[in-house]
Amino acid sequence: MIAPRTLADRIAALRGERPRPLPPARPVADDRSAGLARWLGAELRVADVGRVVLVERSVPLPPGTAERLSGLPDACYVDTETTGLSTGVGTVAFLVAIGRVRDDRIVVRQLVLPDYPDEGALLRLVATELADGARLVSYNGRAFDLPILVARLTVHGLFAALAAIPERHDDLLPIARRLFRRPLGGARLADIERGVLGIERVADLPGAEVPGRWFGYLRGGSPDLLAGVLDHNLQDVASLAILEAKIVHLRAGGWRDAEVIDARGMAAELLRDGAAADSLDLLALALDRSLQPDEELGVRRLATRLLVAAGDLERAEGIWRDATRRASVDAASAWIEVARIRERHRHDLAGALEAAAAASRVLDLAFALGRGGSVAEIGRARVAVEGRLRRLRSWVAARERRADRRTAAA
Amino acid sequence: MDQSVLGAHPRTPTEAIDAFLADASLAPLVAAHRVLEARPPRYGPWPVDLDPRIVAALRSRGIDGLYTHQAKAVETIRAGRNAVIVTPTASGKTLCYNLPVLDAVARDEAVRALYLFPTKALAADQLVELRALADAAKIGLKTHTYDGDTPPNIRSVVRAAGQVVITNPDMLHAAILPHHTKWFKLFENLQFVVIDELHSYRGLFGSHVANVMRRLRRICRHYGSDPLFICASATIANPAELAERVIDAPVELVDDNGAPSGRRHILVINPPVANEQLGIRGSALLTAQRLAERLIGDGVQTIAFARSRTAVEVLTSYLRETFAPPPGHPHTIRGYRGGYLPNERLAIQDGLRDGRVRGVVATNALELGIDIGGLDAAISVGYPGTIASTWQQMGRAGRRAGTSLSALICSSAPIDQFLAAHPYYLFDSSPEHGLVNPDNLHVLLNHLRASAFELPVPAVERFGIDETATLLDVLEEDGWIRHADDDRYYWSHENFPASDFSLRSGAPENVVIVDTTGDRHRVLGEVDLFAAPLLVHEKAIYIHEGVQHHVDRLDWEERKAYVTRTDVDYYTDADLGITLKVLEVLDEADAPPAGVRQRGEVMVAWKVTMFKKIKFHTHENVGWGSISIPEQEMHTAACWLVPPADLVNRYDRDTLDGALIGLARVARTTSALLLMCDPRDLGVLAQVQAPFTGRPTLYLYDAIPGGVGLTERLFTLVDDLIRVCREAVDGCPCADGCPACVGPAIEVGHRGKAVVSELLAGMN
Repeated sequence: MIAPRTLADRIAALRGERPRPLPPARPVADDRSAGLARWLGAELRVADVGRVVLVERSVPLPPGTAERLSGLPDACYVDTETTGLSTGVGTVAFLVAIGRVRDDRIVVRQLVLPDYPDEGALLRLVATELADGARLVSYNGRAFDLPILVARLTVHGLFAALAAIPERHDDLLPIARRLFRRPLGGARLADIERGVLGIERVADLPGAEVPGRWFGYLRGGSPDLLAGVLDHNLQDVASLAILEAKIVHLRAGGWRDAEVIDARGMAAELLRDGAAADSLDLLALALDRSLQPDEELGVRRLATRLLVAAGDLERAEGIWRDATRRASVDAASAWIEVARIRERHRHDLAGALEAAAAASRVLDLAFALGRGGSVAEIGRARVAVEGRLRRLRSWVAARERRADRRTAAA
Repeated sequence: MDQSVLGAHPRTPTEAIDAFLADASLAPLVAAHRVLEARPPRYGPWPVDLDPRIVAALRSRGIDGLYTHQAKAVETIRAGRNAVIVTPTASGKTLCYNLPVLDAVARDEAVRALYLFPTKALAADQLVELRALADAAKIGLKTHTYDGDTPPNIRSVVRAAGQVVITNPDMLHAAILPHHTKWFKLFENLQFVVIDELHSYRGLFGSHVANVMRRLRRICRHYGSDPLFICASATIANPAELAERVIDAPVELVDDNGAPSGRRHILVINPPVANEQLGIRGSALLTAQRLAERLIGDGVQTIAFARSRTAVEVLTSYLRETFAPPPGHPHTIRGYRGGYLPNERLAIQDGLRDGRVRGVVATNALELGIDIGGLDAAISVGYPGTIASTWQQMGRAGRRAGTSLSALICSSAPIDQFLAAHPYYLFDSSPEHGLVNPDNLHVLLNHLRASAFELPVPAVERFGIDETATLLDVLEEDGWIRHADDDRYYWSHENFPASDFSLRSGAPENVVIVDTTGDRHRVLGEVDLFAAPLLVHEKAIYIHEGVQHHVDRLDWEERKAYVTRTDVDYYTDADLGITLKVLEVLDEADAPPAGVRQRGEVMVAWKVTMFKKIKFHTHENVGWGSISIPEQEMHTAACWLVPPADLVNRYDRDTLDGALIGLARVARTTSALLLMCDPRDLGVLAQVQAPFTGRPTLYLYDAIPGGVGLTERLFTLVDDLIRVCREAVDGCPCADGCPACVGPAIEVGHRGKAVVSELLAGMN
């Protein structure tokens, strides 16, 4: 008869391993949070529901930043560091930073969770701090930071605290994407900092290492593990304010001098702000520069939409006529756009027919010269052009017949 | 010519079935024939205080009384007790839970219910049914399915406002529980959890589902709710026990079926022997085709069940050839596989009602609760694996009035042949047990991780087993969770644990057999991973539907075997080397003098190294080859039997060797019948000199890593096992072994059958 084994032995056997020695005993619950606070030069808030390490730091903002932001409601710039990337309930925000612009500086309060049992205290404090502002500003906070805070507040049943968080939440990610993603090839906050804000991070902690740092600290590691996380997070919050000021500036005419900007995205923003004329200026300016073909097409389309809406059909046509001078599929497409404007908006069928015929000739030429697109591309364009041409011809013919009948009747 | 004038052509399905049964050509195939007499409906008391709108809705559907089981279920649930409802197919089972749930929602719109079905198709089906009832009652019920097919914009509405959320255990595990804060309205007000098709939650899948229920209950406790559980199951031996294991709470059994039924004929049909040596019989599929043609031709609406999709396709196309409609008309024979949409099913249902559909060929998707109403005849092509599913399939035939026919057509598989020889097992023995082992350590540890992600686990909390704290320490040691100063364990890892494992994995996947003979590759069938090295190793001759195929290539990583049709005069026989190491003896029972009966944990490793080519008729060894398939290993539960020493000492080693092979074979077949399990879930190994016992030993083990309680249960049934084995061997009319008992003599030796019988007698 063999000796009965312990559950631990069975677990080990199940995994095909030898039983491991017991892990070292956990250090007694000395007040590590006090040590953490000391190390970080922070205040330790002790409530009956837990302890929170509160680090308050302030960073000078570039000149003009505060002024540009002064027209907006008082904001809480929020960024969290979490134990993982999933938004499931088990992901915890162990560092919540809230920045407020004061004079020419941003004052950032970083609330650090000393250990899991203190989370209730941290969340209460976070909610109190946020309730003090008129709105939240974040980068991807709608999809990530806020859902995590909401989930954790719900787990703790802190519904009153949850209700106190301002409803207005300006997530800068969508607009930053529209304005910068195409020219920068990405819209991570780091891309924007480097390409637009002129901020170069030195010795920055990669985001992927963040959760491991906190776990490492919890398992008895040095508080210094968290120092890098706090620095990384501080820069994130400061960048939020600088980015928002940059966006305010761009909207207020700064776009005229912007070096890096997506013309279509910015024009759409201006349009949203009701500045249609500025939007057109911007597009015209963009067309003067050399653009990527697909970007150019987008810019022309948007400009046409704006001009048609403004009733300036002559200029709308002009947008495309500029592009008809080459022997290529693109030129044929431009002629088609001209035909469309004449047909739909100027109700000039004869003119439309003329433009469609021009498109057909451009295609013939492109094909004969063997340029301006592959045979398949030209073929596809040909089908579209001939279809439109046929339709226009029959309409024009019908109208002429009607006119003839009217003349005969008269 | 008017056939009715001649009197030869039957006019009604009942007459057609009687004529069919009277046909002399059928008689040689019939292994058994039973008649179940008609049963009138029995009604229970109408529930008091039922919302008048619901009463009106039922009346408008012609329901003036509840059958006994429905009345009892409603009464039990309204009294606040968990219930498990066990009644046959098409007995109005869903009303048992829809009625009390709808009534509760009608009284208080805050009430929430969660419905769980094993498949999306069933969930979609139920949505239609529940909505129809709510609409008829003019109750504005907010209900929707929540699964992979639910559009994102509807999801958030379901989360916040769904009164009845219809989903599956997998979604609950991976999408709902780990995001419970988004569902807090549901969890705060959860009053009912409906678990339909409970019998499908057995084995490893059931063990996972039981743990998902543990997690669900923890979250309900957190939000202050304590839902009632309403389970519904097909007939199994231990529905209440299974329900209690799955929901971890007492339940009340509701099984007094009051639904009416007509007269039913049950047939067990065994095709004639085609190959004497190997005991291979004629094709079950072709036999099914002949019977179905006769029945359908006589106007008997028939459903045939086949075990694989391929077989469904083949049978459907054969029957469509026979019953080809005039050009331009739709087919009268319909195939039905899993994954059909409710609309397609409705089309079949309507077609059956108005006679446009005369026959349906289905996989077991239909067995699983999807309701297409009753037909005149049901044919099961091959034993579906359990007595419970056999009855479910047979239950598809049956009208409230008139005669119906159900037939099981046995294949050449040992368990089919056992049933053909001992049909009373189908009729008289209780159906199988639904077994789960929620405390399987593999499973338990995974769900404890997922649970810690959902809510921190206090060190004093019990999750499944008393030693939860030990498991928590193990998880902490592995860096998943953190034991904090408040004596709770917190999730402390970047991963999302519910996506690390699936509820349906762990069961070894099958090897697909691909026929490359024609221009287009087609799937012939599947063999399970344990049998694959034996049956479809390279150069094996694999026999499918009586046709020989040569295995050209086995892609072990992809789990695919490529075969081509061939015609040779030999078959192949591979040597499977199984080694089994006993890790721990957990229990021991009384055994005859000097015999042993034990159970415990074992490590099983198996490897196939070589095969022989054996000539038909002469059984000459005409060649051999080596096989290179990597060794497989598994830690699992087992029980083992050692016959008394004085008994085994009477035989020489070769005789004993053959007899043990036969004993193993009959033990596996009968064990699968005694337990509710597919024979493939049970492994068996006979060793003439087992290293652990030092003596001839028969091991039976759970063929699922970690075990699911099969052999643990079997250990309590050893006396029954030996008794049934003796009946199987001694009662078999063969001379010296056949597939229905110990296996053919060429495998077990000429004295094999006799020695098995003596061993069994001595072990009793």
